[in-house]
Amino acid sequence: MTEPGKGDAVQDEYPTSDPNAVLLPQPTAWPLVLALGISLIMAGMVTNVAVGILGLLLSVAGSFGWFFQVLPHEAHESVPVTGEEIRSVSTRTLMEREHRHPESATPRKILPVETFRITTGIRGGIAGGIAMIVPATIFSLLKYHSIWYAMNLLAAGGFVSWAGASDTFLSQFHLQGLLAGLLIHGLTSLLVGLLYGAMLPMFPRYPIVTAGFMAPLLFTGILYSALGIVSPILNQRIDWFWFIMSQIAFGLVCGFVVNLQTRVRTPQFQALPFAVRAGLHSDQDERTHQTPTNTDEKGISK
Amino acid sequence: MATHAPVTDSVVNSAPRRLVLEVLHDWVTTVDHKKIGLMYIGYALIFLVIAGFEALLMRVQLSIPNNHFVSPQVFNQLFTMHGTTMVFFVGMPVLFGFGNYLIPLMIGARDMAFPRLNAFSFWIASFGGLLLYFSYLGGSGLYGAGSAPDVGWFAYAPLTAHVFSPGHSTDYWTLAILLSGIGSIGTALNIVTTIICMRCPGMKLNRMPLLVWLYLVMSCLVFVTVSPLTAAQIMLMLDRYLGSHFFDTQAGGSAVLWMHFFWIFGHPEVYVLILPSFAFANEIIPVYSRKAIFGYPAMVAASVGIGFISLSVWAHHMFTVGMGAGANTFFTLATMIISVPTGIKIFNWLATLWGGKIHFTASMMFAVGFLFQFLIAGLTGIMLSVAPFDWQLSASYFVVAHFHYVLVGAILFILFAAFYYWYPKMTGRLLSEKLGKWHFWIFLIGFHLTFDFMHIPGLEGMPRRIYTYEADRGWMMWNMIVSSGAIFQTIGTLLFVYNMVWSFIKGPIAGPDPWDAWTLEWSTTSPPPHYNFAIIPTVESRRPLWDLKHPDDPDSHYE
Amino acid sequence: MSEVAVIPQNTKSAWVLPSRGIVGMACLIVAEAAIFLIFIVAYLYYIGKSLAGPTPHDVLDLPIFTSICLLSSSLTVHLAVSALHHGRRSLCSLWLAATVLLGSIFLAGTAHEWYQLIYRDGLTIRTNLFGTTFYSLVGLHATHVVVGLIMLSLALFFSLTGSMTSKDTGRLEVLSLYWHFVDAVWVVVFTVVYVLGR
Repeated sequence: MTEPGKGDAVQDEYPTSDPNAVLLPQPTAWPLVLALGISLIMAGMVTNVAVGILGLLLSVAGSFGWFFQVLPHEAHESVPVTGEEIRSVSTRTLMEREHRHPESATPRKILPVETFRITTGIRGGIAGGIAMIVPATIFSLLKYHSIWYAMNLLAAGGFVSWAGASDTFLSQFHLQGLLAGLLIHGLTSLLVGLLYGAMLPMFPRYPIVTAGFMAPLLFTGILYSALGIVSPILNQRIDWFWFIMSQIAFGLVCGFVVNLQTRVRTPQFQALPFAVRAGLHSDQDERTHQTPTNTDEKGISK
Repeated sequence: MATHAPVTDSVVNSAPRRLVLEVLHDWVTTVDHKKIGLMYIGYALIFLVIAGFEALLMRVQLSIPNNHFVSPQVFNQLFTMHGTTMVFFVGMPVLFGFGNYLIPLMIGARDMAFPRLNAFSFWIASFGGLLLYFSYLGGSGLYGAGSAPDVGWFAYAPLTAHVFSPGHSTDYWTLAILLSGIGSIGTALNIVTTIICMRCPGMKLNRMPLLVWLYLVMSCLVFVTVSPLTAAQIMLMLDRYLGSHFFDTQAGGSAVLWMHFFWIFGHPEVYVLILPSFAFANEIIPVYSRKAIFGYPAMVAASVGIGFISLSVWAHHMFTVGMGAGANTFFTLATMIISVPTGIKIFNWLATLWGGKIHFTASMMFAVGFLFQFLIAGLTGIMLSVAPFDWQLSASYFVVAHFHYVLVGAILFILFAAFYYWYPKMTGRLLSEKLGKWHFWIFLIGFHLTFDFMHIPGLEGMPRRIYTYEADRGWMMWNMIVSSGAIFQTIGTLLFVYNMVWSFIKGPIAGPDPWDAWTLEWSTTSPPPHYNFAIIPTVESRRPLWDLKHPDDPDSHYE
Repeated sequence: MSEVAVIPQNTKSAWVLPSRGIVGMACLIVAEAAIFLIFIVAYLYYIGKSLAGPTPHDVLDLPIFTSICLLSSSLTVHLAVSALHHGRRSLCSLWLAATVLLGSIFLAGTAHEWYQLIYRDGLTIRTNLFGTTFYSLVGLHATHVVVGLIMLSLALFFSLTGSMTSKDTGRLEVLSLYWHFVDAVWVVVFTVVYVLGR
């Protein structure tokens, strides 16, 4: 508690001293004394004043002791470095490894492919979210002759007072409905896009098709079972056909946009088993550009 | 079991045996992060056994209807002490212990930034634990009322007011938590400063092991969660000692305010506990999959995201208070949103596993158990985040089952994994794999017996903190199964304790790097020398030991 | 560490990390700020909820003079640090003394205010919710002022005895950070208690 900020960098002093010894902070009991003192003050509040007074005395003693440990100079002790230890570590490198775990010595597989960056998922989510509006609006226009219906329906989940609203009410324009609808829709699109971006590299051969159809269907399935709890009003009036259409629009556009963001994907990528694709790092493509130079320049470049 | 720690160095150097008092003096006055870390872990393990024993007593009490194994008063004390101990004197110290031990080693430093503060934080937190348990002996204080705290681990007002909780039992609770809070803030401060200021050359932020990243997020979270708790405890003390009216409903004070203050601490606290668990998983899963972690930047971003979002979800503990539709909607949504970064993490772990050459050591088995159980715990969490569902099941055994799924199924499992993984580094000897696998299977069976079936009486309406129940409620069989699972878990834990003691004496010598791992702690001897590294290392990539082992194909070319 | 791990490179000169003291103090400030935040939330929540008098409007006067003293002490402590940085130790002592003096005036002002409130207006921490939240919030801040004053007095003492040199600038800077924080909190407390709460 007392002035933890005190004290200068110890580490700077290491190299200057004897090469066969390392300076480390000196062991001290004063922090223990201070801690005991404070604890006894607390204990004094539930037992006896005498305990508290003892605690106070110990705290003062501990603070002073600690203070003189740190000021004017931090107390150090010199710990000798055992020479053999360094040797034992340095011999333990490749040779021993190769006997025990031969697989760890095999060179890694380098694949000139790239996974999606997570931000592309967000872009895809935004695009998909915009695309999703189209089928939803068509649905509103066809069924209720109002472009606002779908949005108000979505927003109704956020307003308890709208629970019993009539169709005509939902067909009118409401500013708060617009805002709430935009908020819910925007946030959901972003998050789904984010998750999609994180998951996309793991999908098999045709990511747009699978992600565009399967993910919306799965999502709809989950929503279908949970919607009664989350937003009863939406559950009553939802038109599942149009809802799935919107979902698929979202998935396809999102997948399309995410796919646009990537650079060239070599044929190997499509041919690889899923397992290998899952192990790729997004930063590995740099290797392809650097390969010719890097092997020679190790240690000089970078 | 605490003995595993203090004897460490005397085994490895076969120097002439030192006096017990000398060894003790070394440990008491130490400011070495490794020794402090081990003391944290040892102390947490002792409390784990104590609090586990309390849980066992409760399960015996609840195993059959109309049981009177313990009295209602004792039962109240049991669940209060069990919860408080597990969160403040097991969870926090064990995680801080691992952090203390591993962080300087992983970032190539020789000690924490403030070694004396480190010792102070440990001692004050441990005295907090002692004070809490002293209440069993001295709870009556000078006034002769009450014993151990019995107000529940979240101690809702106005039950904590002097009128309803006379004597000093509640004061013991408050003071112990205050002390532990001071220690937590001190250690968290130390961890953040160490990570920012003590990294070895080349250890840029984007090259730090993920464990270090997660501890950074966790420690920052401690500042903004434990501090509010400390403030609330100060208020409670003012109420109880000076007669102020913060939570005094008679004078216009608000009991709901305490709930807000407590859960502003309480929910992020879950993340304070789970983030280090993620941290262990991030180190263990890649090493046993023989692959680099999948999606390092996404993992970091998700961790930071979890840190921020976790600050805005606290009131989902309070849906039944009646906060109004707006607040309910907000907290439902915020709680659901947190599943997105968590989901990213799970996908990344799966992707790390996928296609890897998985080594199913005891450690890895626990890590896989963690993944599976954490997922289920997260799913019941999403169920409970929906306000209407929560209205139905709040304060039922369903909730108890849910959060124990997180705390035992996820955190304790990955903690066991961490023990199997780092025990060789800490002691120089490997834990027995055979015993470890027995431990895993027995504990797994016990865990699922207990906590899978605990959901069911919850769904059937069994409230939490209930002392006993009538036979005709239909909860009898479920409670019997749940209690029998507790026995398996006890056996598993005892096996683990036995394994630790036995391996400490007779386990095979581990060598510096038994798992062929990639982070810096494995580049020094086991146990590491007092100064960690004779020469401060320089790193070029996220996996410095990979570079070391494969000089022809270093990671630094890929990052 | 083995030789192989140390890939030859001149990182030594380029590898600069932030100072431990400042980072540690920043962490402490974040934690302390969270504590104050909770007390401020409690104060705001209970404004106007007292069941009985006295109300803030009746009894609180704006402590403008003492507030100016406290805020200007932020400036003097800053001047002390820069004086020490440039090696002018006597000037540093002077500014430190000024800081301690200004801080003490503030503390005396608070003490006087409390004396008046308790003995003239009969407002204690038990009286009502206003008393509860007022004394705890202002008291928490005053505690921090006291701690800061003790530290500053120690610094002044060492500065006068000459054992504080420009090498210790870093330490004094850490202390000054704490003091700036205490001042900044007072701005918030002042706004909440004396402006919004009245």
